[in-house]
Amino acid sequence: MARVRRPGTRWWVGAVGLVGLCVAAEVQPAYSQQSVSVRAALVKGSLPTDDPTAAAWATAAVSEFPMSPQVHWPVRITEVTAKSVKVRGLHDGTTVAIMLEYTDPSEDPEDAAALEFMVGDTKAHFAHGQPMAQVEGGPVNIWYWKNKDGKGSDLGAKGFGTLKPHAHQDVKAKGVYQGGVWKVVFSRALNTEHVAEDTQFQPGQFANIAFAIWDGKKMETGQPKEKGSEKAISSWWYFRADAPPDYSPYMYALLAVALALGFELVLVRRLKKGS
Amino acid sequence: MGGVLVRPIILTICIYLFLKFIVPNLPHSAPLPSSLIFLYLMLTTAGIVIFATLSGASKDAFFGPILRFLTGDGGGALSSARYLVLALFPLLVGWQTYGSTASSDAPPAENRTIHPAPPGEYTGLSNPVPKTPENIMYGKGLYASRCAPCHGNFDGKGFAAPGFTPPPANFKDPTTIAMLQESYLFWRIKKGGVGLPVEGMPWKTAMPRWELELSDEDIWKVIMGEYDGAGQKPRTWDESE
Repeated sequence: MARVRRPGTRWWVGAVGLVGLCVAAEVQPAYSQQSVSVRAALVKGSLPTDDPTAAAWATAAVSEFPMSPQVHWPVRITEVTAKSVKVRGLHDGTTVAIMLEYTDPSEDPEDAAALEFMVGDTKAHFAHGQPMAQVEGGPVNIWYWKNKDGKGSDLGAKGFGTLKPHAHQDVKAKGVYQGGVWKVVFSRALNTEHVAEDTQFQPGQFANIAFAIWDGKKMETGQPKEKGSEKAISSWWYFRADAPPDYSPYMYALLAVALALGFELVLVRRLKKGS
Repeated sequence: MGGVLVRPIILTICIYLFLKFIVPNLPHSAPLPSSLIFLYLMLTTAGIVIFATLSGASKDAFFGPILRFLTGDGGGALSSARYLVLALFPLLVGWQTYGSTASSDAPPAENRTIHPAPPGEYTGLSNPVPKTPENIMYGKGLYASRCAPCHGNFDGKGFAAPGFTPPPANFKDPTTIAMLQESYLFWRIKKGGVGLPVEGMPWKTAMPRWELELSDEDIWKVIMGEYDGAGQKPRTWDESE
């Protein structure tokens, strides 16, 4: 049977069909969103560096990252307590504070957590700055907290087995355990004098950050469940301390609007004269 | 008036919607960067203009409605639309300017080469271990104890995988071991993530350096077990299309 096609309608049918498909695609996103960076907002007044439960933390943006067992180094573990960690950041232009929040069924003296950063512009392997075969890697700066110590430690490493405290201890840390959840706040000056050992934060610039968590629950052997390189870890993610407000983009936008308006007026006037 | 413009406008909109929403959902595809979408739309527009100006008559038919619209000669309801367009254009330019000058919340783009070239000494090596059922089974056993926590049931979804970025390789994916030679896998397993060149971002991968824990023979057996378990065959030099 011969089909009669009406040329004027096929475009519209196709367009409606395509829009319908697009709407369906929007309803069912093909890929999920997850955090890739921690944002430390610039705040006025004092930072809650000693109080992980302070109301100010409720205003900080939350990022959540999955955690995995440390498997890279041979002294490994294949299952860990902390499956993910929530991270918040704040800074006041001088000091930066970063809070980790994660679940742990029990409070133990050996419970611990750490942040890791690259130092300078040289890339470093996320596992303690492990040496790489074809790339000259840099050191890492580790901010470490253990419950029984009740303070933060400022450490450096360039590969497993090289971890050692810095001569200068610039990092503070405070942990609070409530209802099966650890909240640990690390804080330090955005910039220090020890640029070869400490990570330096430039507001507005992205830095690499990684996380580690140890469940210090005492096992029947007398040893903690997670210790040393047997820990929950993340690979590198990003951290950024917000830069002070910059209003210049608004001025550039206004200038662009004025220029576009002027262009329009001239164009229309010319066209009218021509016609 | 302006009927001749309807088709080009619909075509441009449809191409935009296709690139923005359909392409990312196609198998083995990914979202297109906005700069690439913009480039495709510019090519589309250029093609439309070239097509519309092939002859003097088609040129007048194409540009006539545009000129009448801009000069306000159309009258009627188009007059309101004209003011709307004239008002929106500067605002669009301003918005684009703001977007390109304001600082982005997106981290730096990373261009990782997934399968960088191996060092010369690993090119073209052949598996010296006989491909017997016993050796394959032995390799699968090693895989289960050493590799499966991250690589899972050969699908990259082991219980230890979620925290790693980049994620562990999915060996069932036809774009991984099926397109690689056994010698490539031997290098990657033996030297691990830290053996990658700079374009492979060796500082992000958790792949262990298995030469510290497994003999070369065991690594070759693991490779056999991997291909067998994933239902894939290694790429070979004498493979002919």
